[in-house]
Amino acid sequence: MYSLCELIQNSQIGTSIRESLFVFPIIEATHVLALGLSVGTLVWFDLRLLGVVMPDEPISKLHRQVMPWAVLGFVLMFVSGSLLFWANALKAYTSLYFRLKFLFLVLAGCNAIAFEFATKRSIQSWDSAPAIPRKVKLAGLFSILLWIAVITFGRATAYHLT
Amino acid sequence: MRSSLLPFFRWCDETFIAVAVRKSVIAFPTIETFHLLALTLLFGSIAMQNLRLCGFIMKEHPVSKVTKIFAPWTFWALMVMLSSGLLLFLSEAMKCYGSDPFWIKMGFLFLTVAFHFTIYRRITRTQDQPPTVLKARVAAAVSFTLWLGVGLAGRAIAFI
Repeated sequence: MYSLCELIQNSQIGTSIRESLFVFPIIEATHVLALGLSVGTLVWFDLRLLGVVMPDEPISKLHRQVMPWAVLGFVLMFVSGSLLFWANALKAYTSLYFRLKFLFLVLAGCNAIAFEFATKRSIQSWDSAPAIPRKVKLAGLFSILLWIAVITFGRATAYHLT
Repeated sequence: MRSSLLPFFRWCDETFIAVAVRKSVIAFPTIETFHLLALTLLFGSIAMQNLRLCGFIMKEHPVSKVTKIFAPWTFWALMVMLSSGLLLFLSEAMKCYGSDPFWIKMGFLFLTVAFHFTIYRRITRTQDQPPTVLKARVAAAVSFTLWLGVGLAGRAIAFI
């Protein structure tokens, strides 16, 4: 793993991103601002699952409206994040903060998959229900907490890299 | 004009808060994390309102209703950003003084907040009928551009 990261970091693309005066900051700015689109829109869906916002809006409807934007933001984050990793693979790999960020990112992914493919199957019975089942609320709560962890350790990673 | 504010920046740099933040190893990163988490909420709530103004989401609800849901989040996220931003600024006031992106960010911030609480506010609270769609879309585009300017210039402070 270590030598693979070394190889990635020292590749031509990795080196040119790292050493460019403008490319690295621009990619990082994209990474940070895409956060507003991805997690910034996803959080309203999570808060809806918790019953905090828009309690009158059917969950399936909000899902349809919000998810395309959250996914678009996530793709932007993933692409820009991959490029940032490419330029600093070795430092990231050896950083405890980055490992934690990655762990929480995977957990957030698992939480989303569990919701989409298991929890959501019974959506008919709680789509507009005033009392939201606990497993649905937990999916929203986990998503929020996991993303806070991803953002926090992402910020910490940046300090480790520089 | 900038140099006339130099004594003020010097004073900020020497306040006990600035000294305390500088002294601590974890204070700056911690405050910055709150700044970033609030940014997610601020940009996210603005994104929802702008997407509605453009007619991309929640079309069956009046703009004013969507605004009523998200505006309080925007406001409180902005408050967290301003207070955490103030602490970050104090701790490196002299660095900010010499940083062009900092001044550009403050310029954008002033314009954005002014636009948000006047023209944008009026459009999002009264624009219930669909007719003047163009006006709503222009407001969304201006809002998006201004907030983007604040964000980009802010990010640039760390690099330039």
